Amino acid sequence: MRCLLNLSLRSTGAAAVGLFLIAAGSFASADEKKIDFSRDIRPILSNNCFKCHGFDEKQRQGGLRLDVKDGFGAKLESGAIAVVPGKPDESELVKRILHADPAEKMPPEASGKKLTPEQAELIKKWVAQGGEYKTHWSFIPPVHGAPPEVTAKEAVRNPIDNFVLARLQSEGLKHSAPADKVTLIRRVTYDLTGLPPTPAEVDAFLADNTPEAYEKVVDRLLKSPRYGEHMSRYWLDAVRYGDTHGLHFDNERSLWPYRDWVIKAFNDNKPFDQFTTEQVAGDLLPGSTLEQKIASGFNRCNVSTSEGGSINEEVLVRYATDRTETLSTIFLGLTMGCTVCHDHKFDPLTQKEFYSLYAFYNSAADAAMDGNALSPPPIMKLKSSEHEAQFKAFDDEIARVNEQTAAELAKIVYVDPNPYAPPTSPEPQEFVWIDDDALAGAKLEGDSPWEFITKEQGPVFSGSKATKRKAAATSQHFFTGATKTLKVGGGDKLFAYVYLDPADLPKTVMLQWNDGAWEHRAFWGEDAIAFGSGDTVGHRKMGPLPKAGEWVRLEVDAAHVGLNAGAVLNGLAFSQSGGTVYWDKAGIISKTPQDGQAFESQAAWESFEKVLEKSSVPQNVRDAIKIEVAKRDDNQKKVIRDYFLQSVYPKTKPTFDTLQKQLADINKKKTDLDNAIPTSLVMADMPTPRETFLLIRGAYDKKGDKVSIGVPAILPPLPKNAPPNRLGLAKWLTDPGHPLMARVTVNRFWQQYFGQGIVKTAEDFGSQGSWPTHPELLDWLATEFIQSGWNVKHIQKLIVMSGTYQQSSRVPPEMTQRDPTNELLARGPRFRLDGEVLRDSALFSSGLLVEKMGGRGVRPYQPEGIWEAVSFLGSSTQIFKQDAGESIYRRSLYTFWKRTAPPPSLTTFDAPSREACVVRRGRTNTPLQALLLMNDKQYVEAARKLAERMMAEGGATPAERLTYAFRWSTARKPTDPEAAVLLKIFQTHLADYQADKPAAEKLLAVGDTKRNEKLDASELAAYTMVANLILNLDETVTKE
Amino acid sequence: MNPVQNHMLSETRRYFFGRMAKGLGAAALGSLLNPKLFAADSASANPADEALKSLGQMQILHHAPKAKRVIWLFMADAPSQLDLWDYKPKLQEFYDKDLPESVRQGQRITTMTSGQTRFPCAPSVFKFNQHGKHGAWISELMPNVGSIADDITIVKSVNTDAINHDPAITFIQTGSQIPGRPSMGAWTSYGIGSVNENLPAFVVLHSRLPAGSSSQALFSRLWGSGFLPTKHQGVALRSSGDPVLFLSNPPGVNEKTRRTMLDGLAELNTKRAAEVGDPEINTRIAQYEMAFRMQTSVPELADISKEPQSTLDLYGPQVKDPGTFAYNCLLARRLAERGVRFTQVFLRGWDHHNTLPSNIKKLAPECDQPSAGLIKDLKQRGMLDDTLVIWGGEFGRTVYSQGTLTKDNYGRDHHPRNYTMWMAGGGVKAGLVHGETDDFSYNITDKPVHVHDLNATILHCLGVNHEKLTYAFQGRDFRLTDVHGNVVKDILV
Repeated sequence: MRCLLNLSLRSTGAAAVGLFLIAAGSFASADEKKIDFSRDIRPILSNNCFKCHGFDEKQRQGGLRLDVKDGFGAKLESGAIAVVPGKPDESELVKRILHADPAEKMPPEASGKKLTPEQAELIKKWVAQGGEYKTHWSFIPPVHGAPPEVTAKEAVRNPIDNFVLARLQSEGLKHSAPADKVTLIRRVTYDLTGLPPTPAEVDAFLADNTPEAYEKVVDRLLKSPRYGEHMSRYWLDAVRYGDTHGLHFDNERSLWPYRDWVIKAFNDNKPFDQFTTEQVAGDLLPGSTLEQKIASGFNRCNVSTSEGGSINEEVLVRYATDRTETLSTIFLGLTMGCTVCHDHKFDPLTQKEFYSLYAFYNSAADAAMDGNALSPPPIMKLKSSEHEAQFKAFDDEIARVNEQTAAELAKIVYVDPNPYAPPTSPEPQEFVWIDDDALAGAKLEGDSPWEFITKEQGPVFSGSKATKRKAAATSQHFFTGATKTLKVGGGDKLFAYVYLDPADLPKTVMLQWNDGAWEHRAFWGEDAIAFGSGDTVGHRKMGPLPKAGEWVRLEVDAAHVGLNAGAVLNGLAFSQSGGTVYWDKAGIISKTPQDGQAFESQAAWESFEKVLEKSSVPQNVRDAIKIEVAKRDDNQKKVIRDYFLQSVYPKTKPTFDTLQKQLADINKKKTDLDNAIPTSLVMADMPTPRETFLLIRGAYDKKGDKVSIGVPAILPPLPKNAPPNRLGLAKWLTDPGHPLMARVTVNRFWQQYFGQGIVKTAEDFGSQGSWPTHPELLDWLATEFIQSGWNVKHIQKLIVMSGTYQQSSRVPPEMTQRDPTNELLARGPRFRLDGEVLRDSALFSSGLLVEKMGGRGVRPYQPEGIWEAVSFLGSSTQIFKQDAGESIYRRSLYTFWKRTAPPPSLTTFDAPSREACVVRRGRTNTPLQALLLMNDKQYVEAARKLAERMMAEGGATPAERLTYAFRWSTARKPTDPEAAVLLKIFQTHLADYQADKPAAEKLLAVGDTKRNEKLDASELAAYTMVANLILNLDETVTKE
Repeated sequence: MNPVQNHMLSETRRYFFGRMAKGLGAAALGSLLNPKLFAADSASANPADEALKSLGQMQILHHAPKAKRVIWLFMADAPSQLDLWDYKPKLQEFYDKDLPESVRQGQRITTMTSGQTRFPCAPSVFKFNQHGKHGAWISELMPNVGSIADDITIVKSVNTDAINHDPAITFIQTGSQIPGRPSMGAWTSYGIGSVNENLPAFVVLHSRLPAGSSSQALFSRLWGSGFLPTKHQGVALRSSGDPVLFLSNPPGVNEKTRRTMLDGLAELNTKRAAEVGDPEINTRIAQYEMAFRMQTSVPELADISKEPQSTLDLYGPQVKDPGTFAYNCLLARRLAERGVRFTQVFLRGWDHHNTLPSNIKKLAPECDQPSAGLIKDLKQRGMLDDTLVIWGGEFGRTVYSQGTLTKDNYGRDHHPRNYTMWMAGGGVKAGLVHGETDDFSYNITDKPVHVHDLNATILHCLGVNHEKLTYAFQGRDFRLTDVHGNVVKDILV
């Protein structure tokens, strides 16, 4: 019964609920001719008896199973037989469900299950009628049955109507009158494009009196690119598409090319079998194209994590399970999730079969940890010809710089002043590590960016720049990952120069060195920085604050902070507690040779370089140096000399530094370009498949029997020659003999138009799912779909061309009781539009909509703090930064989807979070929705733009203008009484805003677009408020 | 009478009723209560029936409830039970000694510490004192909670299945580690509904992180409705901007202007309803009226200016600063007063993998006085008896140090095997310590309470049998506790 409950109706009170429970009951008993096991009996058994008498062997009691044909006639442990055809009195099943003794009566009280007297009676009657067993309907392949003859022949537009009218006829009902033309064009435009018709389109349709007028509209809409956008939205809910990883950090990830692929596939009317194959196994198709690989991103839509401490094996099991469940829901309409831990209680699906299906996904090549990366592999890069041209230009530039370098080198005459110099200095030398710029490889970080200042901007000690930091509390800048490391020897000292602003003294200054960890700290002043504790190497107090107003050299014995001989440093942090602090050059005093020291003598440099364990000198140069001087060939000599002159010798180095910098700049641009090329997550399998095991109770570390790739036995076997991978799985799904795939798909299409599927539980076609309201119609549509070559647009057109679809959606009074949810289809569909459609329509009718297709997700208006309230510090989606300009006004399909905090303008209208597969949205009616439509900036701005449009295009009088706006939202003209209400409200608002012009100005300032200053503010504000009213009308937010 | 007309009439009545109530101001709080409460008055004269009345999907409660509402002070990121509640004096002898293998028993640990060569025991640096008539040991970090020891039950034996934040917090909130299930507040809203039609049944409050703290993320799924209708999802009251999303009229639109617009809207929608006959239109009219009433009732709720100083003092100095945990605790009481069923106050920042002593010293004071203040405030109003308050997070922390251990510094990794929560009011015993752990706070030695048991117990206090509150989805009757959970009778009155 629950399935009949319309969620939104629930709030209308218990009386209404009671009424339609009775109504629903009357459908079930309407067909008295013959009891159908599958429709009438199995749901009762499955709900009440299968737990102990079903598929699950371990739970089975008394030797009785009621889920297979043989179970009914088999001899039970007691010797009795459950069902003796035609003889209810001899049938143990009937005896026990009607038993007077509570100890004997089934189901037992302890089970919490109970049959109603009607249900027990029905079972008895079924046995009396012969007790015929049928396999659950959805596992039997559909037949393309002949549409039934009906008496209301004039109402038939296509075969869909035969099926619907036959059912209505048996209930003594008929179709409603056709919807008027205005309602119809609005309905079909919404259904095929997700946007309303323009007044001009409505007028054109009204003016076209040819019999094909409607079909022409339908064909036009099916060709519109908006069609693909609208259809994709439903699909993206199902595949759980999002723009973030979904777990833990919830960083951005790049999968939008897949989203764009889906849109294009719908617009190109890609046959649904191909559509399916490319998504499930695009990467495995022989010679697969870039597009097909991108399509396989379908398999990468699952949520992923990189949470520290996770156990990889467990995470991989979750990914494969999620993918298997999603595939089952979308293509099979089966709740395979139930079989992760045990055999299915209701459907003939075993746990082992789950893991056989899971085995298709168990060898996925993506890692357990996504690395919080934008593009965790495997990925594809979408390199365009423009990108190629840019790369070529960079390469040409590099060649030019190299030529110039060679020319400069050729000009130099160098004579070594001291060819026999000793390799290292006997005295410790000061070596500067960082002075005016970032070190190679070092990542400059901090709680706010590094601020380099010049002598004009403040005190500088050495070179041309110092760094400055002003802070209110603990603050720091630091780097790690320097490739030019600092090598610590025995007795070394570390140093840095600091200048404290006497007018803004810090409490503390602190230096920290990184040798892989940060636990080496020295501080001056108070103990006000909470890094480290006690008198340890991670927390050394060096003394009072250095003298302010002058540069002071800070020096620390390396050993004092735990940096002993052999330590290699890659990072340094400058911290302070409050105040304004300047830092300048820092380094080491050491006997140990350091990377990048200056040498006048090439021989001295070579000897020095030879003893370094690691160095930033390129490997080919290092290799050449290691060869004895006498044994070097000309090329080796040149390599060494050229490097020395370019990078070491102080007299020539500056010339080449400039060239090197040019080269580095070009290479950086090249890398940036490479990084800017869009990527999309794709699917791939590991070269060697993982072994798959049944997991006991679904636990990743409790392996049961080994299983191989396979499909549930109740369904057809894998086609012969199907490869044992996802490609084989796709072949199996799209085999014309598959009983579920086409049915499940056309049912979802039907649901888009009528608000509910022929099978209401679109996600469950198993025995616990709802019985189809029109089983023969479902089968006819499914087979029609297959026979048409899986032609998606063909099915859409069939549905909207049917008389059933074109009926008026008015609810006749008696039908509110008899068929409140419109299960019988005696009227057209009427229900609230989805959040995306509402937002897009407001943008559209106000003229704000920017119809640019595709690309990275955009960030339109969103109330402040939605992301920040939940986000992980450091996440790439921690802080919401709204876009500017046209990105605000794109279709909602392109809104950036952060899965741990999805857009409230959509979730308020029942959009799912996209963390898990959803094929059927709820449809609630709440005060939060009312608040959103009244007050959300996006809708207020749209109201103002609609008001400007009224005043510019709508005519001269208020009445004309109000009618114009009304038409943009509802397609029709208001009736006289309605127009009178609009005018009355307008005049009240006008009087109020004339009395309070500043209020009018404030209202008109809402939104990023500027108001039309030529229009009178009070008048425009009054129209804005009426537009706000019109955008909130029940009719505006409803498809009628 | 035609039921549609009938329905419309009733909606119109409510429509006027709502407008009148607004005029009466805050004194009319009672009249804003769910009409379903009054509607049934004449039908059920029996007070026992009255006690069992449900306003949600359940027709009647499964048993008489002890709690009418729940406030969960949710300590996200997992506070250390070893430094707050679980007193382990013997641990001092084990300082820097490896956790005996006989205790650890090869249990799985996170990959953050599984690479450590040693697992040195880190006794707490904090002093513990005995509080209350039963002498419960509570850390010096929680002196105010110590002062209410006689009002609370401390459960030292809570345990969970998950070892990392995201799955563990999802697990305790929804009964499953995998996203997609309804949260406990959503189940409550669905099952027993709300007594106040002008406020959501389930409200979530986020506390600002204390300066200098860092924390894990939260996820909207933690208060989401999963497969239940979205009207049951938690509504996050925000501390800056609109307390409820989109509550305020846009600039330049005052209450009168909004009323004018809504009058026109109601008139046109009513005409359309008569024309089209869809009862859904009447529901929509009613929802717009409720939205209008919320525009008054929610700001009134968030306005604490009329609270007496003596009450504010209970919550500590931060109470006047919106967004602090102290402010949120006071707001939780105000929500409870107005009949909100389930309030969840999140406090993040307990993820002390390193330098735990100095970090917890900063965070605990933000938490201690407001938590205790809430209990005292509820008690002085006589509301503690039917309000269940819960304090705790998603798991505990390890006895062994993560990273370097010194006498006064250590870190602690995730520990799912046991941790401590406390509860008060709403049917829970006052002045009790339940469950025990070994000398290392590593294993439970007495009366384990699994997260499913805890959730079953909370529902039980509300008059709900956790095995019977179900929702059919994907062919299965789902419930908060999956197929697990036992009510912890020992802690109940």
